[in-house]
Amino acid sequence: MRYLPLIVKNCLRNRRRSLLTIASLAISLCLLGVMMALYYALFLGAPAKSQARRLVTRHKVSIVFQMPIYYRDQIRNVKGVEEVAIWQWYGGVYKDSRDQRNFFPRIGVEADKLFKVYGEYSIPEDQKKAFIQDPASCVVGKALADRFGFKVGDKILIKGDIFPFDLDLTIRGIYTSSETSDETLWFNFKYLENALRNSSRLAAGTFTMLANDPAEVPRIAREIDALFANAPTPTHTESEYAFGVSFLSFLGNIKVILMSICGAVTFTILLISANTMAMSVRERVREVGVLKTLGFQQTTILGMILGESAVIALIGGAIGLAIAELLCGVIRQGPAIVDQTKTLTLQPPVIALLLGIAMVIGMASAVVPAWNAARTNIIDALRFTD
Amino acid sequence: MSEVVIKTRKLTKEYVRDEFHVVALRDADIEIHRGEFVALMGPSGSGKSTLLHLAAAMDRPTKGEIEVLGSKLNTLSDGDIARWRNRHVGFVFQSFNLIPVLTALENVELPLKLTHLKKAERIAHATTALKLVGLGDRLGHYPRQLSGGQEQRVAIARAIVTDPDILLCDEPTGNLDSKSASEVLSLLSTLNKEHGKTIVMVTHDPHAAHYASKVRYIDKGELLTEGTMPEDWKSMSA
Repeated sequence: MRYLPLIVKNCLRNRRRSLLTIASLAISLCLLGVMMALYYALFLGAPAKSQARRLVTRHKVSIVFQMPIYYRDQIRNVKGVEEVAIWQWYGGVYKDSRDQRNFFPRIGVEADKLFKVYGEYSIPEDQKKAFIQDPASCVVGKALADRFGFKVGDKILIKGDIFPFDLDLTIRGIYTSSETSDETLWFNFKYLENALRNSSRLAAGTFTMLANDPAEVPRIAREIDALFANAPTPTHTESEYAFGVSFLSFLGNIKVILMSICGAVTFTILLISANTMAMSVRERVREVGVLKTLGFQQTTILGMILGESAVIALIGGAIGLAIAELLCGVIRQGPAIVDQTKTLTLQPPVIALLLGIAMVIGMASAVVPAWNAARTNIIDALRFTD
Repeated sequence: MSEVVIKTRKLTKEYVRDEFHVVALRDADIEIHRGEFVALMGPSGSGKSTLLHLAAAMDRPTKGEIEVLGSKLNTLSDGDIARWRNRHVGFVFQSFNLIPVLTALENVELPLKLTHLKKAERIAHATTALKLVGLGDRLGHYPRQLSGGQEQRVAIARAIVTDPDILLCDEPTGNLDSKSASEVLSLLSTLNKEHGKTIVMVTHDPHAAHYASKVRYIDKGELLTEGTMPEDWKSMSA
């Protein structure tokens, strides 16, 4: 601690350079922070309380393949399944598909089961009843309604692309969700039943189940898949949380992509920091000679230079993390790709890890120039000219 | 006769610079007693600074022995030498070598950070040292805010703040105008006469050497016998 004032003063020796280094570290660690927050949320985080009891069954080969509707009744009979609802991804085009802002999920669902399976949804009772009773109706999430200015009673037209017909819907309700995304348009599955009556295309895209107990989820998943293991249409069942993450696999191996970006960012920060520290130490070799003349030992000098680098890295890291948390807030407000992004934040383990990374980068970048300076002979150090 | 504080026997320092083999100091024998103010004189490259560096244990001899305050410097480890230097030797450089980001007070406090003194005690000692060199009103000034003479006085305060037995000065007036040089030399003389510090000062300025109680000449790496000076210097001093 007695060398801390000297370390701080040395950090401020060349303010412009220190500020630029801190800024570059902050930006890099901000990027790293968002990536790691995303990684944590997707692969290490726990599902929301309401999600913990939900499972999703899809075709074993791919989500693009459909399953027979009668599977619903067999799934309902599996012990521990409290409710089952058919899901059908409609796709379609709202207004102009070239404008990304017009994209939001449009999913057909059994209206009477939606609010049982999604217990976290809140909607006025009269709106819920109207949705269930009207086969050409839909409900929209509050965030979605706010985005487009939808009101109850509004008409909405979705042009079909996957399906050979358009959806002409009436908004019967606006729901809010305390834990998961509220940017989905749910329309009454009866619309599809009516439009595809007697057609082989009338099928289930997925089944969403509510289990009695979160602990039962793995067993239920195994039992459902065993049920259809030898059927022409085998299934793959997993928790809704895992299903959401697997959705991202369409983009590629997200784990590898995130880790690669994190690795590249970390390596870049290391190079930036090492370059700065090398310059900083190089212009102070004479001072190292003076300190040694005064009686400072190699280890003390080494510690002071490493400390200086660590202080700069930690300041940059802390600022970067603050900006990363702000960015997480922006992502939380944006459209939900998966539910996990709605609760995206820098968790304490991620903060600790990132500050540790900043510290290690600071030390690692300075260790070579610091070691070289500390072991330079006094006479050589005093004669050193940059 | 008072105690011998610096004693060398056949002290030799050789080094290789690029492809050249240089003998900076050859078989130097010298004894310096406690309380003496010795000026080491000689032309540039004669080896006087080398002798000073060896006496401060800033460098190790190639051959020969050097004993300072009873410690055989050849036998000490690097860590022991650093501690010994902090406790027993104050060093004043020609170019002051103050740390630019530290104030005068912080510069002088620096060697005390290696002691067990608490912050308040360190500040008190550093303030006393700065007052002793006449800079009690410049405690918070940075080196860039001081004149050359003032900077050198801060450097002297830094050298004496640990109350070392020996003060080694490498051309302390080399970068100063004549007025500042006289002030610095008077200060060194006071430290020698009133505070009993043993001072070894390297200089090639005959005026500076007049402040010393003894002058020894070095020429081409060889320490001349006491009382003699190089032939070509005789005409200069005459």
